[in-house]
Amino acid sequence: MTRENLAPRVKDLIVRRLKLDIDPSTIQDEAPLFGEGLGLDSIDALELVLGLEQEFGIKVQDEEVGVKAFASVNALCDFIEQKKIA
Amino acid sequence: MNNEARLATLPHAYPFRFVDAVVRPADAGLDAAGGGVWKGEALARVSANARAAASGEWGSTLLLAEAIAQAALLLQGGDPETGRRGFLAGIDDFEAVRAPCAGETLAISVELAGRFGAILKFQGEVRGEEGSIARGAVMVRRGEESPHGGS
Repeated sequence: MTRENLAPRVKDLIVRRLKLDIDPSTIQDEAPLFGEGLGLDSIDALELVLGLEQEFGIKVQDEEVGVKAFASVNALCDFIEQKKIA
Repeated sequence: MNNEARLATLPHAYPFRFVDAVVRPADAGLDAAGGGVWKGEALARVSANARAAASGEWGSTLLLAEAIAQAALLLQGGDPETGRRGFLAGIDDFEAVRAPCAGETLAISVELAGRFGAILKFQGEVRGEEGSIARGAVMVRRGEESPHGGS
């Protein structure tokens, strides 16, 4: 899967799993997902962890790693690509 | 841990404790890969007697979500250090058919769906004699005191 295909899929996952009432394409690749960005919280983070496992087969085994991976869509794409290669 | 000691790990007391016994403790732990998502399953038994005596029936079907959360906290946080600290942080896709009837004994099954940091998500189901009366997911935060003192 190319990066161009991965980012929209990640955005779709975020919107769908978190039941956000926004168009996935409006999420900026570099915008922070938590805090001032999409305003996600720790419960949302858990939902993303479950989404990554169920839809990408990727486990987030460490909270610190997860916090970095969920920094933005780009960071999440990087994390997924690294896990797929490993 | 016997049933009495296990229940003592909950901060709740009558009329806010909805779990009366643990029938089958959770088989929880790290998954085979040592990952952060655990799998566990448990069965707890709830009697509606206490609430029924106070008000005729549980006032809201949402209390069934609280019962699931209490069962989850008991089964996954069943020691004094962690079991006493935790609270219901969220409810997701929860559906209830009805409130419990007076004197009804309910069975609650809880399965850990995942965890990230201090947040744990459980899928739960409450069953009466005729079958399921409520199901849904609850999110429980462990390790911090609730502003209200518990789950």
